[in-house]
Amino acid sequence: MKRILFAAVSLVLLAVLILAGCEPAPPPPAGEEVSSCVICHTDKGLLQETATVVEEQTSEETSGEG
Amino acid sequence: MPPLEEWEKVYLKNTAFLEDEHGKVGCVICHGGDSSAEDKDAAHLGILADPSLESCAICHSDITLSSDISLHATLSGYTHDLEARGGNLNEGTALDEALGNHCEECHTTCGQCHISRPEELGGGLVTSHVIKATPSMQYNCTACHGSRVGNEYLGNNEGIAADVHWTQETMTCTKCHGDELHGSGQSVDDMYDNIDVVRCEDCHEDVLTDDIEQHQQHIGDLQCQVCHSVTYSNCYTCHVGIDQNGLPYRTSDPTVMGFKIGLNPIVSEDRPYTYVVLRHVPVTPDTFDYYGNNLLPDFNASPTWKYSTPHNIQLDTPQNASCNSCHGNEDLFLTEDDVSAAELEANRGVIVINIPEPITSH
Repeated sequence: MKRILFAAVSLVLLAVLILAGCEPAPPPPAGEEVSSCVICHTDKGLLQETATVVEEQTSEETSGEG
Repeated sequence: MPPLEEWEKVYLKNTAFLEDEHGKVGCVICHGGDSSAEDKDAAHLGILADPSLESCAICHSDITLSSDISLHATLSGYTHDLEARGGNLNEGTALDEALGNHCEECHTTCGQCHISRPEELGGGLVTSHVIKATPSMQYNCTACHGSRVGNEYLGNNEGIAADVHWTQETMTCTKCHGDELHGSGQSVDDMYDNIDVVRCEDCHEDVLTDDIEQHQQHIGDLQCQVCHSVTYSNCYTCHVGIDQNGLPYRTSDPTVMGFKIGLNPIVSEDRPYTYVVLRHVPVTPDTFDYYGNNLLPDFNASPTWKYSTPHNIQLDTPQNASCNSCHGNEDLFLTEDDVSAAELEANRGVIVINIPEPITSH
């Protein structure tokens, strides 16, 4: 009797879980996250406009060949 | 190598790389950031410009495990030599600080060989974001190894011919240098300590058995370059410090062209030669004096004339024109007269005392 009761409860719990959508999340569509980065990095004008120019700091005392 | 403007460094001129396996995983997987943000700063929050080891290791752990302890990553060639001269490189020491300020920028990463130019030279993508299995000789290999090896190989030293491997076969660096560039999986003291390092005989195995008299006479006793290399560059000094603006600087005397045969300082089973070509390296007892006195207290424990493999190989050279072009020719050999008094002790082991006698009958 206990076994039947345990099986019934398990079935009910499983049904609840399935109805609640408890399953692995689907992977993001391929290419979705790539495109948002690539949109900007293929836009030459945008990059020229927004690039942060970093002043290269080199000591004037450096001399000779490396 | 002309520098890139900031925008060019990250400009994807084409998106061909998106079609390969690396492109398909997406940007954020390797670089982080937020691809859903519309604002530049938000999109780049936490971004890793050069994720290299952390990301490459996910799929290429066989290579990154080895690469992580290779000379390209650890610069152990520097540290080994400084420690050999008595330098204390424990964390927080003056020499450790100097190494960090002046030397460590020369290490490389996966990305700085296979995707972008070396960071030390300004960085920037080489070919959009194409991950090149074979690094660019111009933008990667000789970008760092240019002042000596690159100039020699390409014939950029005035009056000195380029290497025959370049002039006759247009061989790029990786034609000879392959797996060794990722290390052998073992920590090494210098490039010649790597069991995978390239050897001339790997391709020219015929020299071991051919009927050329000079080969029969000298194989095993002379390093190949003794007969087949020509004049190469030598550096003599290097001094480092921090200027009044807090910026690191280094100074060195002009390069001196020369060719010197000396005694082999690293005799091993693989390199049993008695005579080898030596190149002077840029170090002096006071190189690090800005950071403290006598930071290389055992300076003489390591020679300043080092085993070298100049990349300007020729079939015919001045010294192999005849037996007595070399035998008895004191100018070719490193003698006491070629070494400054301050460096005599350091180089005792490589200075040639008895120049090979001229051949009187042949």
